[in-house]
Amino acid sequence: MTENTIILSLDNLSKSFPQRGLVLDGLSLEVNEGDALAFMGPSGSGKTTLMNIIGLLDKPDTGEIIFKGRAISGFSGDESSGYRSRNIGFVFQDHLLLPYLTIIENIFLPLIAASHSKEELEERKDHLMGLMKKAGIDTLAEKYPFQISGGEAQRAALVRALANKPSILLADEPTGSLDNANASLMGDLMLEMNGKFGTTLIVATHSYELAKRMTHLFRLENGKLNRSL
Amino acid sequence: MANKIFHLALRAAWFSKRTFLYQTLIILLLSAVITGSLLTGYSVRESLRRSASVKLGNTGIVISSGERYVVASLASRLSKSTGMPCTGFMEMKGYIQTLSSQKKALNINIFAVDSGFFSFQGVDSLSIKNGEVFINRKLADYLAASKGDELIIHYRKISDVPAGAPFAPSEETDKMVVKKLGRILEPGESGNYSLSISQMEPMNIFINSVDIEEDGNKSRVNRLALHNINNIMLEDISATLKKILEPGDIGLNFRMVSHTGETEMISDRIFIDPKNIEAVQKAIPSATEILTYLGNSFRKGEKSAPYSFVSALPSSRYSNVPASNGMVISEWLSEDLSAGVGDTVVMAWYSPDSLNNLVEKSGNFIVYHVAGKETIWSDSLLMPAFPGIAGSKSCSDWDAGVLIELDKIRQQDEVYWNRFRGTPKAFINYDKGKELWGNNFGPATSIRFPEGMSIQEIRDQLKGKIEPSEAGLSISDLYADSLKAADESVDFGSLFLSLGFFLIMASLILLSFTISTWLDSKANEIRTLFALGFKNSYTGRLMFLELAIMTIPGSAAGALGGYIINVLITVALNSVWKGAVQTDTLNSYFSLSTVVLGFFIAIIPVMAIAGIKIKGFLRRMDNKENHIFIHPVRRKWTPAVIISGVFTAGLLFFSFILPGQKIILSFLSGSLMFIWLILLFRYLILSTKTPGKGKKGIYNNPSVLYYAFYPSHALTPVIFIAAGLFAVFVTGANRAGFDNSQLKTSGGTGGYLLWCESSLPVMENLNTRAGLIAAGLDVPEMKDMSFILAKRSAGNDASCLNLNHISVPPILGLDPGKFIEKGAFSFSGTLKEPIVQNGWQYLNIPGSNNIIYGIADQTVLEWGLKIGIGDTLILRSENGQPLKIVISGALKSSVFQGNVIIGMNNFVKYFPSVSGSNILLAEGKPEMVESYRTIISERLENKGMNVEITSDRLASFNEVTNTYLSVFMVLGGLGMITGIVGLGFILIRNYNLRRREFALMLATGFTLARIRKMIIREQLVILIAGLTTGFTSAVIATLPSVSGSSEVPWTLLLAMLFSIVLAGLAALFISAKYVTSDSLTSSLRKE
Repeated sequence: MTENTIILSLDNLSKSFPQRGLVLDGLSLEVNEGDALAFMGPSGSGKTTLMNIIGLLDKPDTGEIIFKGRAISGFSGDESSGYRSRNIGFVFQDHLLLPYLTIIENIFLPLIAASHSKEELEERKDHLMGLMKKAGIDTLAEKYPFQISGGEAQRAALVRALANKPSILLADEPTGSLDNANASLMGDLMLEMNGKFGTTLIVATHSYELAKRMTHLFRLENGKLNRSL
Repeated sequence: MANKIFHLALRAAWFSKRTFLYQTLIILLLSAVITGSLLTGYSVRESLRRSASVKLGNTGIVISSGERYVVASLASRLSKSTGMPCTGFMEMKGYIQTLSSQKKALNINIFAVDSGFFSFQGVDSLSIKNGEVFINRKLADYLAASKGDELIIHYRKISDVPAGAPFAPSEETDKMVVKKLGRILEPGESGNYSLSISQMEPMNIFINSVDIEEDGNKSRVNRLALHNINNIMLEDISATLKKILEPGDIGLNFRMVSHTGETEMISDRIFIDPKNIEAVQKAIPSATEILTYLGNSFRKGEKSAPYSFVSALPSSRYSNVPASNGMVISEWLSEDLSAGVGDTVVMAWYSPDSLNNLVEKSGNFIVYHVAGKETIWSDSLLMPAFPGIAGSKSCSDWDAGVLIELDKIRQQDEVYWNRFRGTPKAFINYDKGKELWGNNFGPATSIRFPEGMSIQEIRDQLKGKIEPSEAGLSISDLYADSLKAADESVDFGSLFLSLGFFLIMASLILLSFTISTWLDSKANEIRTLFALGFKNSYTGRLMFLELAIMTIPGSAAGALGGYIINVLITVALNSVWKGAVQTDTLNSYFSLSTVVLGFFIAIIPVMAIAGIKIKGFLRRMDNKENHIFIHPVRRKWTPAVIISGVFTAGLLFFSFILPGQKIILSFLSGSLMFIWLILLFRYLILSTKTPGKGKKGIYNNPSVLYYAFYPSHALTPVIFIAAGLFAVFVTGANRAGFDNSQLKTSGGTGGYLLWCESSLPVMENLNTRAGLIAAGLDVPEMKDMSFILAKRSAGNDASCLNLNHISVPPILGLDPGKFIEKGAFSFSGTLKEPIVQNGWQYLNIPGSNNIIYGIADQTVLEWGLKIGIGDTLILRSENGQPLKIVISGALKSSVFQGNVIIGMNNFVKYFPSVSGSNILLAEGKPEMVESYRTIISERLENKGMNVEITSDRLASFNEVTNTYLSVFMVLGGLGMITGIVGLGFILIRNYNLRRREFALMLATGFTLARIRKMIIREQLVILIAGLTTGFTSAVIATLPSVSGSSEVPWTLLLAMLFSIVLAGLAALFISAKYVTSDSLTSSLRKE
């Protein structure tokens, strides 16, 4: 892992919505590889919008996103999917596990999206089982989402986000639906992955408990980021 | 509280008005279809009522003498007695030709009217000049005739003596007159006047009655029409008629017998009806009957006297007349035969058999007395005025309607005729004479009253004693009957509701989906209401009210819009669907009560669905935490799939090896295949993922596993598409085509080639050489041809071509012998009498107590008459007696549709005046059919013969059914399209339910194209599964039709299939297009 290597650079991003007006207003940010960032801010401040823009699920009205030195904000839909498939892992407030797939199948989903061959999938299986073990859900592989608890499901969602060994893990309110114990466990896991694999961690949260454990903490106010930590 | 909830619901409904757009449109469609159907029913009924009203004009009550006549002056006397306008006229059948173009119109109505007819009808300005005729617009259009054209009118000669009566003259019974067309009558001028109950416009000709009267001094009519302005009941009319009815009105006349000083009553019909004799004898018990008949020969030993009349006299008046086989002979005969008292004389005569045919019979009689020349026996008035005999100058001129061997007539016979005319030469007892010569026309030729009774005295005593019904007069309130027939006509409201059933069901299912979608969108709102402590019942009421606020206006607008549907359907019924109604005169009518009814019929199921959905949704939300998901297991369904598959194959196999049961077995195997394919599809869906087994499915399309978990989400649209296609295809393929089985003896044609219907009766027996010669059919081409000759009484067509409910159908009399011998036609059911082997045999059972057996087509019984096997149809015989026809059998679709068939022997007994045959069924060599048709048409042209190929006749009946099926197919097709739109809704709903799943896929790196591809692929599987299931099972179900008939409307079916595929694909791609990156990411946006 190289210190001070900029993995992601946001330059003067603006985004507005017809009903909400200007959400991001000339926002700029540089993220180093291996950083653990937290965005905090009131509801409607634009945290999710910012996460979606970083994940190329949404496009900024103006401004540029540079990933590993390459401008990506003009990517087409397919290029965006490829970018996400190779580099991004998403965790949402709801686990969003597909109810008709088992936990292991849900975890495999990003690999299927990346069109890995069956052999490649088998190769990755050990890696994923390792992650599941770390998350404490290795015994739940063949269970369905409705057969496990909310905390277990959210951890499964985290393992799914890491399945493709992403460069950046985007976690949007990852502990919003969890109790304190499960929220703490989830924070431990994310930071462990950040420390062990150097995965850049960007978390949007209302939880100061979680945010203060990150290396950098930003407040999103009036469409701009203010460093708090 | 009620106001608050309403206010809340109103605000919520207004807020989500755009969401309700779909619901409103569907309800509008539903309500419009239902109300449109009901209004169509109302419009058809109203059109029939108005058409009946226009046809009848001022005619309310009709007094009909059937095939007999009454004097025209009865109308004015009846008018005077009742205080109501009354007119009398003659109604006849005939045919007409234009002189210039020779264009011919067959089977037209001829009304011979006097100047009072049009005044009676309220068209005072019209009167027919001598030498002119009026025709109605329809006939004028048909003939392309215009005012001033000369028309040749053919009709049956008006004669008091029925052509079938013994010794009725064989002279030409048809008449032809040429008249100038004076006016073309519009419907408002009584042009469409008709006493028949039918929606079809008649073809009418009105002729001045003076122009057709045979005897200018004798003005006769067979119909009396009363304008019932005083709303008099039929019983009162009958009572009034009874009071004023005189013997002379019904052709019973008096004359003095100078020879005996007696008064006698004779009939214009020669033979006096038994009911009339009974009435006279009841009033004047001393009146006695006399029956005088023609003896063919009287023989004693070698000596013989030909053609002499013999009287059967009552012993009460002629004391010397011996009983039994005793005979009194005149001195003339005694001398001629050299016969005296004690000698045996052999007499021969023509005896009428049960079919009115005269067969020569003979008997031995012992001479008891020889009567002197100047005694009461020497009475020339004893001979009835047989029209072909009475006025003849010599015996050689006789036209007795039977074979007279002229070579047997001697000089002395001519001398006798010149001196004594028809004075009988022999006398027997009346009872013996009645036994020998009594016939269907009556048992007496005169009634004599005691000496000294004057004609006036007799008339006075008979006044008010003749029952009109027993004099052959039937009285009916035709106006009320016509309106009743219209009111009870084919219910097009129910018909279109049932034909549009699939469209209605599709709309309801679609509505159910949209309500589910709407409820999904309300989930958060409902959660909030739960959280705020609102009770489930309150939330339910609020939701229901919100839905009601939006649906009621839609339903109301749809109900009003139903009138447009009604107009469109009426236009279609008058044009492209004319086959169902046989007229183009239907109009659209608006009825507020029908619209209100339609509104409620539409809104009730909608509200019921809404109630069920809301209740279910609230229960699910309430129990969400406790909800235990059970994964469907494939293994459980394995036996069902195998068993249904085996049964399907088995039934299919048997349908091939049991050709007799092919239709039912094919349909069953097709239906079972439908179930099997659905089960198989479910099995395959579950096979994509079985718990604990491999994960192959997810590599290509993780989404496919969704349906393994929620099979009903895939099966519902599959069943919907398949069922719709199955219904439409089966209906289309079952269009009643004409296949070769109908041509078989057991088929609807009975194996007969031609159905010939004449405007004027054919008097010849075409199954005899003499008859063929007389009819001009003795040509080599006809040598293999034979006929079934049928007589027909008047009545209203009871076939499916008549929309009205008919209570008086035409009666067809025929001899079923040939049918029994050949096994012709097939019964769908018969009475089960052990002695009867073949259903036709019932017709040979002679009637007793006016009860006889009859047969009709199943369709006629079910739809036209609304009765069944074993039921009794009560009609009136010719002499006014109730004739009870017990339905002994129902024929499968046959050429007889529209009629009730009885045996010929019973027909001639109860309708003796119907002479000749009006219907001929001809059989011969099938390859000669066109040749037969041409010959019969040409040679019997003078009878106004319409010759129809039996298969064409059957096809014309099938046209009605086929039109209904076409309507069903069109409405079913619309239902399918609605269903496909519903499929689109299902896809969108499924997508909405799964949007976050797809958003997650997008977030994890799936491209939008790949997500769309997944959705399209899985929905394509649903579409293909639905189409395959529906199409395959429908083809199997209709295999006999599909493989055996060329009538299957393949083009229409394939076009429908193509449009379903097209609409399905459109729905599929449109719904896939609905999946956008923005719509997906918005579901992830939870700020």
